[in-house]
Amino acid sequence: MEKVLLKNFGKEGAHTIDSYLSGGGYEALKKVLGMEPEDIIQMVKDSGLRGRGGAGFPTGLKWSFIPKDAPEKYLCCNADEGEPGTFKDRGIMEYDPHLLIEGIAIASYAIGAQKAYIYIRGEFVFAARRLQEAIMEAYEKGFLGENILGTGFSLDVYVHRGFGAYICGEETALLESIEGYRGQPRKKPPFPALSGLYGKPTVINNVETLSCLPAIVNKGAEWFASIGPEKSPGPKIFGVSGHVKKPGLYELPMGTPLREIIYEHAGGIRDNRKLKAVIPGGVSAPLLTEEELDTPMDFDSLAKIGSMLGSGGVIVMDETTCMVKAAYIIMRFFSHESCGKCTPCREGTTWLKKIVQRIEYGKGRQGDVELLESLCGNIFGRTFCPLGDGAVMALRGVLKKFKEEFQYHIEHKRCMV
Amino acid sequence: MSMGLVTLKINGKEVTVKEGTLILDAAKEAGFDIPTFCYQANLSGLGSCRMCLVEIEGQRKLQPSCITPVMPDMSVFTETETVKRTRSAMLEFLLSNHPLDCPVCDKGGECELQDLVYKHGPRKGRFAEDKVRHHDKDYILSPVIVKNANRCVQCMRCVRVCKEVVGRGVLGAVGRGVHQEETSFLRTRLDCDHCGMCIEVCPVGSFMRLPYRYKARPWDLVSAKSVCGYCGTGCRLTLERRGDTVVRAIAHPEDGFNRKLLCARGRFGYDVMNSEERVKTPLLKERDGTFKPVSWDRALELLKENILRAGAERTAGIVSATLTNEELYLFQKFMREVAGSSNIDSTSRWSAESSLKFIEATGINGGGSSVYGCAESDVVVVLGGQLSEENPVTDYIIRYITGARRNTLVIASPRGMKLDSSAQLSVRTVPATTGAFVAALLKALVEKKDVPIEGMDAIKGLSIDELSGVCGVSVDDIHWIAARLLAAGSVGILAGPDLLRYDDGSEELALLIEVLKATVRDVRVLPFLDRANQRGAWDMGVHPYLKPGYREAEKKGLDVHGIVELAESGGLGCLYLIGEDLAGLYPDRALIESALSKVGFLVVQDSFMTESARMAHLVLPLAMYGERAGTMTNQEGRVQRVEPVRKPEGDVWTALDTITRLGNLIDKDFPVQKSGDVLREIQQQVAGYGDLRGMESFKGASAEGVAELKPAFNYGAPERGAEEFWLLTGNHLFHGARLSQHSGILKELLGECVVEIGRAAAERLGVAEGDVVEVEGDDYMDRLPVRIREGTPDGVAFIPENFDGRDANRFLRKDRVISTVKIRASKKQGE
Repeated sequence: MEKVLLKNFGKEGAHTIDSYLSGGGYEALKKVLGMEPEDIIQMVKDSGLRGRGGAGFPTGLKWSFIPKDAPEKYLCCNADEGEPGTFKDRGIMEYDPHLLIEGIAIASYAIGAQKAYIYIRGEFVFAARRLQEAIMEAYEKGFLGENILGTGFSLDVYVHRGFGAYICGEETALLESIEGYRGQPRKKPPFPALSGLYGKPTVINNVETLSCLPAIVNKGAEWFASIGPEKSPGPKIFGVSGHVKKPGLYELPMGTPLREIIYEHAGGIRDNRKLKAVIPGGVSAPLLTEEELDTPMDFDSLAKIGSMLGSGGVIVMDETTCMVKAAYIIMRFFSHESCGKCTPCREGTTWLKKIVQRIEYGKGRQGDVELLESLCGNIFGRTFCPLGDGAVMALRGVLKKFKEEFQYHIEHKRCMV
Repeated sequence: MSMGLVTLKINGKEVTVKEGTLILDAAKEAGFDIPTFCYQANLSGLGSCRMCLVEIEGQRKLQPSCITPVMPDMSVFTETETVKRTRSAMLEFLLSNHPLDCPVCDKGGECELQDLVYKHGPRKGRFAEDKVRHHDKDYILSPVIVKNANRCVQCMRCVRVCKEVVGRGVLGAVGRGVHQEETSFLRTRLDCDHCGMCIEVCPVGSFMRLPYRYKARPWDLVSAKSVCGYCGTGCRLTLERRGDTVVRAIAHPEDGFNRKLLCARGRFGYDVMNSEERVKTPLLKERDGTFKPVSWDRALELLKENILRAGAERTAGIVSATLTNEELYLFQKFMREVAGSSNIDSTSRWSAESSLKFIEATGINGGGSSVYGCAESDVVVVLGGQLSEENPVTDYIIRYITGARRNTLVIASPRGMKLDSSAQLSVRTVPATTGAFVAALLKALVEKKDVPIEGMDAIKGLSIDELSGVCGVSVDDIHWIAARLLAAGSVGILAGPDLLRYDDGSEELALLIEVLKATVRDVRVLPFLDRANQRGAWDMGVHPYLKPGYREAEKKGLDVHGIVELAESGGLGCLYLIGEDLAGLYPDRALIESALSKVGFLVVQDSFMTESARMAHLVLPLAMYGERAGTMTNQEGRVQRVEPVRKPEGDVWTALDTITRLGNLIDKDFPVQKSGDVLREIQQQVAGYGDLRGMESFKGASAEGVAELKPAFNYGAPERGAEEFWLLTGNHLFHGARLSQHSGILKELLGECVVEIGRAAAERLGVAEGDVVEVEGDDYMDRLPVRIREGTPDGVAFIPENFDGRDANRFLRKDRVISTVKIRASKKQGE
């Protein structure tokens, strides 16, 4: 498959506008500026593009919720890539920032936004600098700013750096954070499409989603839709990390089986050990085991077997991994990142962490596994936003497949492996 | 927006409610109680505590009923196993990091967490880890607020009430997840209203009253429903005592129009009742000027003798507009029928004519008007007073309602106020030019729309530029306000005591209301008053020209100014003051001191040794709010019953007991009555009090007009020398009248008299907040600490009239509409 998202990776100076232009950059923007916004939305709908941030919501449909006659609208690019195991957006922003900027300009034109914010994770200092430089270049060349390319369309793009909260990747918490409030999710409805940033209609799209747009415009919706499965087509970046020989970013068609990603592209398990478990899409996604490796990596196939594609951050664990420890690290993350707004997530994730921690440190008690399961039931579906659900899904995934390791830890006060 | 009705099912029971109703409220209507923590009526919805989750048919997940509006044909289940299990689970989560220190927690016994755990909670906890502890000891946030973050359930009611209702926004959350803590910035001392709303809304013992801490358990308290005595808002409150000591004032959400709202004065000013400085027995002044206790019999005998000796024409009485309706009614009845004198008033500060005009303009003699109706109008105009400080809870109600409804709020006031930040437009008028400002508005209205009412020609002849020059409000702003008024479907007007004090603006206001009634039609007027029962005093006929029910008195008596003049001329034989510190409040100190010293026999009945009492021949003790039964009428015309929380200590009598016995002593036909007897008499005499049932009711209208209002349309700005300040006086946020200075708690909030100026003036003078400045009037100079008030223009100063010995009236002169002072940075010691 011809790469579109990672095509400029490894090229000398790929992040500069000259390099981007020499590869046909901003041609898609020029093309859409001559089109009717509604046709662009239709094209994106036809392409079948689904949000790459994790939820997989159809992008064109999301755009179509924006009221046409609203005088002020916003586009927010969610670049708060904070899920452990996920590092695809960072790659795009560091090595091909103009791809994102062009995508932002296309989306802004389609929905009629005159201001776009890139909410970038605070730790991505280098990426933020690269983006800012690229934005300045784009302004200089007239791809951003007043009256872009003489079409009368104007767009300002701002880079807004986060301050280290995972929750700000939740779209409404992201909006709160941009507005200067504490990063905590808002109640929905009203949905951002009607009342988002500063109470105005707002679209929030992931970096990778927006970066798909130039290719869709250039090569056509049909081309995009022809890649991968019908229901979730297109190229996808998989970020593979953990116990593999060649960790890294791989752009492959949606639906590529996990086994192929791990063994063909990422070079297989390090030291040729056996695979024990793999998290397919960031730590919220319930993990899979050897027998599930032939599952196609797309939204629907993974949902069918009780996991999820999420962000496509694949974390591979080999046979030497203690699953209790893995669970503890995951629960520590969620407990640390719970924003504190709602009761079950705030208190629940911390309680879960403390129990798993106790088991991991050899202080587990009989009944702890049952207690964990009971607490999971009390959290799941009761939280304000999906963060708490994510924690439960992750833990339930481990408990379901490796319960005996927890029991072993409780009884023997040490790891099974 | 049409408000349709929605029919839905709750637990199978059909219920029809207004569109937009929350499931929580609809369930309550259907008889199903849903437990909550973060929900608070009138605050923005949060939906975070997850206590109120319910099942909705067709929805995969449980939904928060406190933020989910009803939908047609929805089927909601609030009592299923899943819902019950969820409630128990949420409580288990909340308890997991709760210290469970109920035995030492003030909230124990009235704690929402305790109550809900008893009702819905797990019987056994499974949490076996170390709990999160934010701190070891409670920490103090203000002289009245103490904080324990460990007990917090993170409902954010405190944060929201402070921002959305009180308008301070000094509370926020720091930290994330289980480390989240609702507190002040860096846990530092708060600079705020100290209203304690954060305490009142706290469901647990996280925000607590510092003065009440460890003082009592709720089940040890004896309580009584009363009405706050500190301003005309007339908030319903419950006073509570342990033994004979009053230890707490609280507002119950389901009881009284103010629901949970109280300000610092109402919530913390109760301790005046416990003061050791109270007058506890009748005192007679000896020849050497010292006071000696006497019996009530002797005191009443002396009073009788002097009233009879002085004779009707040379007897006068001024009674505080903070007493009950029954006491006020009885006072005027005694004065008119027994003493034979119409020389009666209920104020030290304004003339009878001024009050007649104000009564007529604002429709006080008409029926009652709710503050909510006023606040919910499309355009709300506040003029003639510093609402935020004079009537804090009225300010809170206006803020949260206009904030939620996003209607237009316009403020015209000489001083900056907290409510400015909630207003779409806030203009600063030159003091005592409300009339000119309203005339300018009239002119602008008439320019835009022809209004066929009498007096239009006079308005058409006005020059808006000239009026703008007098009142200091720009022509553009006047047009802006006029346009908003004309575009409105309803207009609410709040008119304050400046109209009374400076006898200014009532005529124009009446005409404005007439014009608006002809154009907008729906006009709601609310007078805001600084005395708890001012409206009641007028209703009861405590007025030299008006008998009960606004009937014209056969014989006009002297108002406060007439009484003072008579005294100054040496012609006043006996003056009886009840609860009113004439010496401390009359707007000309030199004159009043001289006049009072010439009164043949000065009797002062008051709770404390006031400035007037010190000059009196006879001092009688007086019961205060919380110690008497009866009714009070607030600024809206809402008549509310009050119950005594305790009997007054020592030989202290209520005004009612005193007057009824004194009357009977002089005239055997004057019956000895209790407040219930007097109320029945009032109901026969005063229109609108007849249908008083239960704890509160709105008074009806008395049809009669009391004054004919014709603006003269002749204006001039008050004089002020260059670099001089117009001096305004009134109540401070923490002080009301002369009573609050005896509250130990309120004195901690503000313990001394201050002078308030704007930032521009402070910068010009080179002084900062707290610096002492010299304030010089015509014949008086004082050194006062500066307080800076944002929004107050240069040239306007304010001194609260609440402090003995530092009386603001020492700067005032009766012959001036508005007095001026010079303010200088004080030389530092040693310079």
